[in-house]
Amino acid sequence: MNESSALVFIVDDDEAVRNSLRLLLKSVGLGTAVFATAQQFLDAYRPSQPGCLVLDVRMPGMSGMELQQQLNLRGAVIPVIFISGHGDIPMAVAAIQQGAFDFLQKPFRDQDLIDRIQRALIKDQGDRAQLEERARTRERLVSLTPRERQVLELVILGKPNKVMAGDLGVSQRTVEIHRARVMEKMDASSLAQLVRMMLDERSGAPA
Amino acid sequence: MRLSILTGNPSPREALQALLDAAADGIVLVDHAGEIQVFNRSAEMLFGYQAAEIVGRNLGTLMNDPDRAAHDVATRVSDLVGRGRTISARRKDGSVFPAFLSIGAVAGSEPPAFVGFVRDLTAQQQAEQETLRLRERLMHVSRLTTVAEMVSGIAHELNQPLAAIATYAHACDRLIGVAAPDVAEIQDALQRIADQAVRAGSIIHRLRGLGQTDASEYEFADVNAVICELADLIQNDARARGVSYRADLAPNLPLVRMKRAQIQQTVLNLVCNALEALAPPQLQAREVIVRSRLTPTRAVEITVCDNGPGVDSQTVSRMFDPFYTTKADCAGLGLPISRTIVHAHGGSLKYLPEMAAGACFAIQLPA
Repeated sequence: MNESSALVFIVDDDEAVRNSLRLLLKSVGLGTAVFATAQQFLDAYRPSQPGCLVLDVRMPGMSGMELQQQLNLRGAVIPVIFISGHGDIPMAVAAIQQGAFDFLQKPFRDQDLIDRIQRALIKDQGDRAQLEERARTRERLVSLTPRERQVLELVILGKPNKVMAGDLGVSQRTVEIHRARVMEKMDASSLAQLVRMMLDERSGAPA
Repeated sequence: MRLSILTGNPSPREALQALLDAAADGIVLVDHAGEIQVFNRSAEMLFGYQAAEIVGRNLGTLMNDPDRAAHDVATRVSDLVGRGRTISARRKDGSVFPAFLSIGAVAGSEPPAFVGFVRDLTAQQQAEQETLRLRERLMHVSRLTTVAEMVSGIAHELNQPLAAIATYAHACDRLIGVAAPDVAEIQDALQRIADQAVRAGSIIHRLRGLGQTDASEYEFADVNAVICELADLIQNDARARGVSYRADLAPNLPLVRMKRAQIQQTVLNLVCNALEALAPPQLQAREVIVRSRLTPTRAVEITVCDNGPGVDSQTVSRMFDPFYTTKADCAGLGLPISRTIVHAHGGSLKYLPEMAAGACFAIQLPA
């Protein structure tokens, strides 16, 4: 699989549906990888590959819903667009509740699918950028000394230097030095940026 | 006569008359030539004749087929003694009703005289017909239910080619719009659109056979073809439940005389049961297999097997009883109706308990 550009993964046990989707996406310049079963996709999928997943709900063997659960368990971020025949509304609700990106009923308008795929790819890009940012924040946090870490925690609580000095039992000057080093190591240009970085790091699931 | 009874001293003749008139069955005494000698009150009610007007006339008067009746009396009445048979009887007004006639010889009479007991079967036959009608109706309803359960599957099955057609068409539209269209690729897609339309058509074609009613006639049919016609329905339901379905069919089976729709209903019912047995989510590699083969006794056998939890011993002994069910939303009629259908075909429907895993049912039909 090509790591650099995004791929649309298509998993549908129906050869005609699979192939027609491949052709449609090709016609708008989207790269695809098609799979007849959920297991084949799981075997081939590497989480580092950007893209989105177009998934049939009903399939023999592992169903679309089960595949979604598997991906959730593995912490995969790939957005999932379910496609299904009519009468699967309860399934659609369940899929969305489990974090599916969208749900389309077959047959669908081509533009509807293409729009959703484009949005899913944008979301995937954003998610991946955020993940990378989080990973970077974590690396920077590791480089902090225990004392700097203490100062960081107090800084993002909005405590003035004078209060921190009291809390830590050091001089205000020492606090200022630690604080400057924290900003430098964390590559933060402002207090606001540092706070946002930390909030984001804490909102994400541990890698 | 009434007076005599009240005094407690009826003459033997009066006593006999009282007995005759109290009998619920019509009683007719005839001589060796078939001439009516005695006609009791119930017989009067049954046939609409007064005893006075019928006595002395031939027994054939009371029959819808007098020639045959006369023949019976003349030559075969003695054969009928003690056995009885169903006859078509005729009232005074000409109307006909079914009756059961049993005949006894009057002991010591020479030439022999006979006594006939006539019971009106109208109500009984109506009840039987009603039962039959209800059973047919029940079978029809049961099949409709089986089919209804699969309708959502059919909708999904039709959706597949329709979705593919729509998607191919959209793709063609876009592929044609570029500066240098790849004609071969577009032609291939157009061919695939046609293929998918044919596929949709064949699904509908195969479904049509299932809409037939019980009025269908017996025909000689290939069991394998009958099973193949169900493949779409079964495949879909199986797909929806995450079960793989496989048909393992022996070639060159002799044709079987059957009401096609009924046998299909039976197979569908067994497959539905199998799919339901595979519902527990902890089951792995769920599978339903339908097989056909010729048995050593030259019956054509269809088996429906699953690899689910099987049938517990308590259920095995009762599952063919009407209204016995282990399912909350089930009438408990599927297996008994299936067995009734198969029996009507001169065949058998059995549970095969010797199978190691899961449940297995076998339909045997005479070839």
